[in-house]
Amino acid sequence: LPAGLSQWFPALEVLDVSGTGLTEMGTELLSLPCLHTLLAKNNRLGGPGSLPKGLGQAPLARSLRVLNLSGNRFSEVPPALLQLRGLRSLSLGGNRLHGIPPDIQELHSLEFLYLGGNFITAIPPELAKLPSLRYLVLCDNKIQSIPPQLAQLHSLRSLSLHNNLLTYLPREILNLVHLEELSLRGNPLVVRFVRDLTYNPPSLQELAGRTVKTRNVPYAPSDLPDSLVRYLSLASNCPNPKCGGVYFDSCVRQIKFVDFCGKYRLPLMHYLCSPECSSPFSSASQSSTSQSESDSEDEASVAAHRMQKVLLG
Amino acid sequence: MEQPVQTETSKARSLEELVRILHQIFDEDKVSVDEVQALMESYESNPEEWLQYAKFDQYRYTRNLVDNGNGKFNLMILCWGEGHGSSIHDHTDSHCFMKILQGNLKETLFEWPEKKGNGEMTKKSERVLRENQCAYINDSIGLHRVENISHTEPAVSLHLYSPPFDTCNTFDQRTGHKHKVTMTFYSQFGERTVC
Repeated sequence: LPAGLSQWFPALEVLDVSGTGLTEMGTELLSLPCLHTLLAKNNRLGGPGSLPKGLGQAPLARSLRVLNLSGNRFSEVPPALLQLRGLRSLSLGGNRLHGIPPDIQELHSLEFLYLGGNFITAIPPELAKLPSLRYLVLCDNKIQSIPPQLAQLHSLRSLSLHNNLLTYLPREILNLVHLEELSLRGNPLVVRFVRDLTYNPPSLQELAGRTVKTRNVPYAPSDLPDSLVRYLSLASNCPNPKCGGVYFDSCVRQIKFVDFCGKYRLPLMHYLCSPECSSPFSSASQSSTSQSESDSEDEASVAAHRMQKVLLG
Repeated sequence: MEQPVQTETSKARSLEELVRILHQIFDEDKVSVDEVQALMESYESNPEEWLQYAKFDQYRYTRNLVDNGNGKFNLMILCWGEGHGSSIHDHTDSHCFMKILQGNLKETLFEWPEKKGNGEMTKKSERVLRENQCAYINDSIGLHRVENISHTEPAVSLHLYSPPFDTCNTFDQRTGHKHKVTMTFYSQFGERTVC
């Protein structure tokens, strides 16, 4: 960036330095108090000095709304970037990212996040802590699974997951009530009914933990070592509505298909507390006449109807 | 459309001229696919002429009507953000011309699924269309998916459909199952349509 930029153009709001071969953006950025849009795509940014030191204290940290760094050479999200608290839109498409830092949750005003075309293998659950996120693009990466916590992205309108390595989705995905667009093509989604038979029997600690939780055995932090208090707080509820049980580490993974009016089947992963438990979403192979099971089926088919529009849209 | 009846190929020097010549061509009883394709390819994209129709949506590609060809054809501009793509679709027995105005679009051709088919659809071919190139497809050629595979550049394309249609089928690549959909316009004649 040319020296003296902020002296010549102190009122600069939009700066587009795309396609200029930049290898770093220096301290000139720090004195631009009105800058809300910075476009620097298709450059050679990615090395250590790409973003200036002291970014977190600059006016930019509060004023910048849109940052486009797509088509550069970032192999990790630069920590300095996470100090841009006012950021609404971030694009790092077409870089060399291998992961997403959990501290991405610091960008709490983020509405638009484009990470397509990288080498990302996993999604940190902390990504779900972005309350305003509406558009999330993760296409053309190497993602093998979606953390169920992603269903906490209440504002999500559009989720792009095409061309990854997903074999199934977490069933919680049906909870994204505002989702209008979902792309899943180009994933090796399981199409045949699969039952994971590798069930590791629960440990004594797990059995004790389950009993404490299901029988509501009272305990106080002074009664137990810290590690066990923490362990007890990690209990997950078995999705079987008739079970009411909990599990810790030992669970049965089961893939069930949610049927969209006989036209499209989406493989969703369920975790059940034991092989004897049955899933709230009954597959065709299980027949049931109980009221609670058909209630959950109705719930599933309502969600499925909404999803059908999304998937085939 | 039948074999060409005119031997000279006209060149469109502006978008307005392109529309005018298209009206002339479609007024005739016989229209040649080759002639329309050559005409569309001859127009050198000039953003100043079509920017008013190029309205982008953050979440998906948009269809923006430019001209309704006195009922004989629909001419529209499609705007594709980074990573935006279409489903696999047919063209409801109509002719479809697609010209790139800006950026690049990847076109993947598919075979029609078998009647009783319940397996993965067969990919026939794929190519990346460059600026000013014009592709053509109809149902007898097959089905296609169109995508902007760029993560850095948006793309804009000019489409002509004759006869005009507002419903088509989309296909699930994994099973070949089809689903009828109604298509809508994001804007018409440069004005945003609110549904």
